[in-house]
Amino acid sequence: MPLIKAKDNWWWRRARVFGLSALSLFVLGLALSPVERPIWDEVKATQPELNLREVEGALGQGLVIGLIGGFRAIIADFLFIKTNTYWENKDRPNTEAMLNLVTAVDPRPMFFWLNGARMMAYDMPAWEAQEMGGYANLPPAVEKNLKARYAELGMNFIDKAGSFHPNDYRVPLEKAQISINRLEDPAQAAKYYKEVVAMPDSPYYADRIYAEMLKRSGHQQEAYDYLRALYPTLPRDNAMAATNVVLERIRELEDELDLPPIQRLPTQDTEVRPAFTAPSENNGFNLGGSQSKEKTNVGPSYGLPTQDFPQESDSEHDHHDHEHDEHSH
Amino acid sequence: MSGGSLNRITTIARNTFLEALRQKFINVLVILAVALILSANFFRQFDFGSSELKFITDFGMGSILFFGSILSIVATAQLFFSEIENRTALTILAKPVYRWEFIAGKYLGIFALLTVFTMLMIGLLAGMLSWREGALMERYPDDFAEGRLVSYGGLFAYGVLELLRFGIIAAITMFIASFSNTNLYTVIVSFFVFVICQLQYVARDGWNDIGNPLLRGMVWVMALLFPNFQMFNVAELMIFPGEQTLAAASAWGIFGYGIVYIIAFNALAVLAFRGREI
Repeated sequence: MPLIKAKDNWWWRRARVFGLSALSLFVLGLALSPVERPIWDEVKATQPELNLREVEGALGQGLVIGLIGGFRAIIADFLFIKTNTYWENKDRPNTEAMLNLVTAVDPRPMFFWLNGARMMAYDMPAWEAQEMGGYANLPPAVEKNLKARYAELGMNFIDKAGSFHPNDYRVPLEKAQISINRLEDPAQAAKYYKEVVAMPDSPYYADRIYAEMLKRSGHQQEAYDYLRALYPTLPRDNAMAATNVVLERIRELEDELDLPPIQRLPTQDTEVRPAFTAPSENNGFNLGGSQSKEKTNVGPSYGLPTQDFPQESDSEHDHHDHEHDEHSH
Repeated sequence: MSGGSLNRITTIARNTFLEALRQKFINVLVILAVALILSANFFRQFDFGSSELKFITDFGMGSILFFGSILSIVATAQLFFSEIENRTALTILAKPVYRWEFIAGKYLGIFALLTVFTMLMIGLLAGMLSWREGALMERYPDDFAEGRLVSYGGLFAYGVLELLRFGIIAAITMFIASFSNTNLYTVIVSFFVFVICQLQYVARDGWNDIGNPLLRGMVWVMALLFPNFQMFNVAELMIFPGEQTLAAASAWGIFGYGIVYIIAFNALAVLAFRGREI
């Protein structure tokens, strides 16, 4: 009997300690909430990488991330190396899964997002096309559908980067590039380029390509107005601003729109030709000739070949060898 | 607290600290942490996205958190149970030493160990960053036109917050040890609690979106039971105060948050230890 009583006491004591402890911690948590909430909101807002809801669907990832804590950077790097082995083997499901894991572990470096989006939008359709006998053997509708499907995948992927890098122009820029290179949709590209040019630190070439996309989507007047407004703001001493190219495009658009001399940009000091030439002398927008040098000046390539950037030449893009669409990393 | 009480606590704390320094496992852990921080420069080869200084900081802080957490849990459990298993606790408590004094002394000894560990690691990391930053300043003077990028004051201030996180982990372990029977049980449960605290923010931020009222209530209670360890993840804000910085009031708030939880878990440890049969 005394033994049972002692056991009861032991259980009672233990239950009492647990109950009292839980109650104390609960009350403490409740009391600290008003203090903790604003601090946590501030910490969370400045650490977008903590927002892991998007990856909670993937089994166990949240736990892994919580465990690894401060080792995010190096683990993400090693996971990206692993991703590249899948990429080399053209393993679509694993490459995609690993890219999602890498960006879940460390969403801060843009390198992961940009390369991931490019793998999805450019490489994966080429792999699938190869499995089906190559682009050459695919009906155009199937090819278009294939590219559109993976372009959407890449766009959705890079879209997620937007929540971690809201002010990084490279997010809409990548979407714009996919729009024009994969979907061949200049109107959609123009929409994203509009976002790019409105962002801080956006490169000069984005302004020029934005106008070009407007033009290609049939908004010549809008493209002209944009370049007219842009031209006086460009620094003359910065080669990247390419004022001569912008001026040239303004002139071409003036010809194309058949603007009367009074509405045209007055002749500039750098020009050797008059502001007005007869429309018959220049039919349409010359994308071949002088534009080609622009390609060497399209801005940072993030270590990737420039063909990953929207080509300002229709001809080059149209004749691009689809079988070699893959970009190198 | 009387002067005698303070003396007794100090004596227990000093002995605990010296005993900790003699433990091989703890020494190995410290050596591993030191080696990992010093190797940050080598691991930089595998870096794809972050800038060099941020990568070294990430890697160094990761090493500190990883080994610091292990140290907080294992050292606390080992040093507590060594007294129980060697029956020295009986000798100590047979003397005019209160149980709360025993817990306080043990905890302060472990906290001293964690302080030495954290400050040693932070010092090494600061040295590493200073060396690399100096080299980068020589190579790319334009990028450092506005001065150094790393705030070394911020680094040491962050070290204090990290120490408080370890302090909470040690206090939680002390609480679990105060009612558990084995070292292994204490270590395992403490690690689970540590993981819960690391992920507590998921529950805290997500309970409102849960449709099931019962589950929602449970998640809400769970979120309030455990401290939010992600509050302490402010290294980047404090060490690289560029575009975004942590308000001083918030830093002090986190400091206070840590102190309150350390006191609370130690008080609970005393409560549980009072009724324990040794």
